[in-house]
Amino acid sequence: MDLLQFARGPALKFALIVFCFGVLWRLTAVFLLRHERTLSEPRHPVFRALMGGLLAAGSRSAPHREFIRRTGYSEALGYSYHIGLFVVVLAFGPHIAFLKSLFGVSWPALPNNLVTVIAALTLTLMLAVLLRRLTHRVLRLLSNFDDYFSWFITALVIVTGLMASTHFGAPYEQLLAWHILSFDALLVWFPFGKLMHAFYIFPSRAINGYALARKGASV
Amino acid sequence: MPEYQARQTIGELLDRQGISRRAFIKYCTAMASLMALPPLAGRAMAEQLRAARRPSVIYLSFQECTGCLESLTRSFSPSIENMIFNVISLDYDDTLMAAAGHRAEAARDQAMKANYGKYLVVVDGSVPTADGGIYNCAAGRTAVDILTETAKGAAAIVCVGTCSSFGGIPFADPNPTGARPVSDLIGDKPIINVSGCPPIPEVITGTLLQFVTTGQVPDLDEHRRPKVFFGNTIHDRCYRRPFFDQGKFAKTFDDEGARNGWCLFELGCKGPTTYNACATTKWNGGTSFPIESGHPCLGCSEPGFWDKGSFYAALSTGTFGRAGNLTPRDAAKLGGAAAATGIAVAAGATALARHRRKVRMTDIQTADTQKEE
Amino acid sequence: MNTVATAGAAAAVKTAFDRQGALGEDARVDRAMAGFACDFGALSALRLESCIHCGMCADACHFYIATEDPQYTPIWKVEPFKQAYKRESGPFAPLFRLFGFKRKLTADELGQWQHLLFDSCNLCGRCSLICPMGIDVAALIEQARHAMFEAGLAPKELYEKAAHQKRTGQPEDSAEPYRDKLLAIGRSHGVDIPLDKPEADVMLTVPRTDIEHYPEAVAALARVMSHMNVSCTFRSDGLVAENYAYYAGGREWQRDISRRLIEQALACKVKVLIVPECGHAYSALRWEAAELYGRPLPFKVRHITEYLAAQLDAGKLRLRQAANGVSTFHDPCQLVRKGGVTESPRKLLRAMGVELRELDDHGAFAFCCGGGGGVLDIQRAAPLRYRAMESKLREVDQTGAQTFLTSCSDCRRTFDDGKRHFNWDKTPQSLLELIADHLGSAQEARS
Repeated sequence: MDLLQFARGPALKFALIVFCFGVLWRLTAVFLLRHERTLSEPRHPVFRALMGGLLAAGSRSAPHREFIRRTGYSEALGYSYHIGLFVVVLAFGPHIAFLKSLFGVSWPALPNNLVTVIAALTLTLMLAVLLRRLTHRVLRLLSNFDDYFSWFITALVIVTGLMASTHFGAPYEQLLAWHILSFDALLVWFPFGKLMHAFYIFPSRAINGYALARKGASV
Repeated sequence: MPEYQARQTIGELLDRQGISRRAFIKYCTAMASLMALPPLAGRAMAEQLRAARRPSVIYLSFQECTGCLESLTRSFSPSIENMIFNVISLDYDDTLMAAAGHRAEAARDQAMKANYGKYLVVVDGSVPTADGGIYNCAAGRTAVDILTETAKGAAAIVCVGTCSSFGGIPFADPNPTGARPVSDLIGDKPIINVSGCPPIPEVITGTLLQFVTTGQVPDLDEHRRPKVFFGNTIHDRCYRRPFFDQGKFAKTFDDEGARNGWCLFELGCKGPTTYNACATTKWNGGTSFPIESGHPCLGCSEPGFWDKGSFYAALSTGTFGRAGNLTPRDAAKLGGAAAATGIAVAAGATALARHRRKVRMTDIQTADTQKEE
Repeated sequence: MNTVATAGAAAAVKTAFDRQGALGEDARVDRAMAGFACDFGALSALRLESCIHCGMCADACHFYIATEDPQYTPIWKVEPFKQAYKRESGPFAPLFRLFGFKRKLTADELGQWQHLLFDSCNLCGRCSLICPMGIDVAALIEQARHAMFEAGLAPKELYEKAAHQKRTGQPEDSAEPYRDKLLAIGRSHGVDIPLDKPEADVMLTVPRTDIEHYPEAVAALARVMSHMNVSCTFRSDGLVAENYAYYAGGREWQRDISRRLIEQALACKVKVLIVPECGHAYSALRWEAAELYGRPLPFKVRHITEYLAAQLDAGKLRLRQAANGVSTFHDPCQLVRKGGVTESPRKLLRAMGVELRELDDHGAFAFCCGGGGGVLDIQRAAPLRYRAMESKLREVDQTGAQTFLTSCSDCRRTFDDGKRHFNWDKTPQSLLELIADHLGSAQEARS
């Protein structure tokens, strides 16, 4: 079995199993914890509070006007590399083929050169993100192994993907193998680190938003 | 074949058969261009070849389907084929030779004795090793035995086809005959692999010709394939590559993309990881090659090509699951089982956390009560 | 990997912290961690799990904005407890314990967090609004305070006041009991103080701050209620609106203190319990009392401005036009951002024809006065508090308003304190007092 076969075969299988197992473990363990009963009289009927939660799930996608002056740069940076990641993951032909094999649906791809350029831009933005994390006093204090490792493994997937798509540095099948292996590693790490925010973001916003909205507080 | 022919130079033989110098140079130039050599190299090759003595070639067939030989003999340039048999002295080939039985085996023994240390062995097919190698015998002897004996006096071994090069289809899981590639069994001879299922005829002849011309093993890649023919992937040279680059893919064999000749990546084309000359040399005298006829590359010139998942699943997909390739159904089953286990473990972890919480609360309360007392 | 160690380095200057009880150091840490973990439900876990360390909450916090000191990043204030959560309640807690991923803190390290959780957090909840993951950071800090209290690591002022209030119903000793002071205020202001009626529709409470510092506000409350002719009463045994255990983090004490009011309200069968101009009392009674009490309350809890706005709508409250020039209004965090009482004060101001010029950051986005969350009572926190309130005072100045109103007497006292410290030229005024001064007659209401 060559490296590519290993990456596509047992490694990918292991990674998918760990991913599903870990994600469900982590989500379930949180939601199985005690649920505090709310007994205070809500300000609004449940329906309005639920709408508030839904509103928060969407509205926190953009900062409140009052905060933009201070957070605009990080929002812009965060948005741009996330969009880059989404485009690269979802609009590259071979990725679509992979997703189709998992979910059975597919959609048209963007031109490879365009995706390659976007991937390169995304990587550049991620470097800016890392630089910011390393230099900003708040981020430097908050950051732990998880932050840096999650960054590293995401960047690694992009770097190997770029190398594979540009045939840079080694025979294609090796680059492809490294790319898939690094993705396997990302899947394995995913449930254990901050990458989980992909699953938490909307429930967190909606549930916190609901808790605030039932008090009539701002979301 | 008569022994005297082996002692003649190729030039003498060609002259005797009335093949003009000019026609031979033309042939060599074509061969040179195939090998990506400069045009003048063709003339030099012709001169060298004319002066060379025809080497004795012993062609061994083991676990094979004869497709490689079929490929070779269905060369679309009969005169070239003719030349090949004039350039070498094919002293043993149990499929092609007129002799049979003891006389055929005697021809092999004779060729080996007469050209010991100089003859070329061409192997077609993998070598079964399980159960004492009994799955492939000729004249009462196993393939392992014949190969080992024949290889001893060989100048070099050329493995024609993926079976002899990498094990090929007999080698495919579960490999009941214990098939091995030649390179697993012979360690002390130069081995040139001309893989493919079958290899392109011109690639076989070209490789032989290069060896005869230079007397040396050509530049090989990590799978011991001549770099001149196996230096690029099909994908690198594919005329459909622009569609890959544009992100235009055929999704089924009869959709618009397929009719428009778009890239076959999503239909499982192994072109990106397959090193061969199909996209440039093509088949049937340069007529076409699989991708040109609308079928994805199977990757037949790569080791283990039979075991790399479905031919029709994209390279970027997993190679496990019921059909040898990940399908949504497999994914759902696999993910579902893993997720269910995850939920169970989480329930355990939460129960433990709750239990610990209770214990600690009690501890604290006890401590508080004691303090108050 | 050990972030706590880096935190220690960041807060190179060790801050002094208070201890209560005679617990051993290890026991202190254990109790803090257990206290935090025990408090833990799914919602809190979701909050901790979701943090992506983006650091944006720092940009909402006036303590960080004023000092640019990263340790004041709101989510950093719960860092030790995040680690406790990972070890004790998190999904992978068994793994964390098995492999010893998270080292236990020392009591000294934990003590350093007293400064972050109490001195430099007003529980104002502005960070909860900025978080892109939607995390209610303030709720986490409140929970971390519980743990600190469990470990005997609350600031002494808050702890002592809470203990006193739990014991006596008053946060501190006074020359004469608050009951007597209340009656004295009624006498000196010429208003009738309804006290200890056996039954009433409305039960009134009073902030200790008003009794001690702003007796006019107490008189104003009585005057407004009598103007509306509402059947109401104060109760001697449930007078003080504040709940110092809410500040200090003593969950059980907070319950006991709230229960005193709840039982009084039940005793006189009121329909409404009025929280006077006090922000955190509103949070404690409106949103936390029922949960701690263990069942829904059979009466409504309303802030005085909420109540008055409703009475205005019902036509029971009649107001005259106020000629107090351009005014601006400070939104108390607990009432507005966290409590949703945003429209009521504005409605009352409109009814008096007050020209309201809003602050740059108003409503849900208003900056805290800097005194909330008990910070005003922590003496050693004063220098930091002044730094944090400077920009707030500037915002008030920038409106050019002549009158500066608010509806929380702790905010008012904080601004008064700032006025003395900075020689500020504005005086914070009570919205309730303004209303009491502009009560209209029935005739005026008709015209």
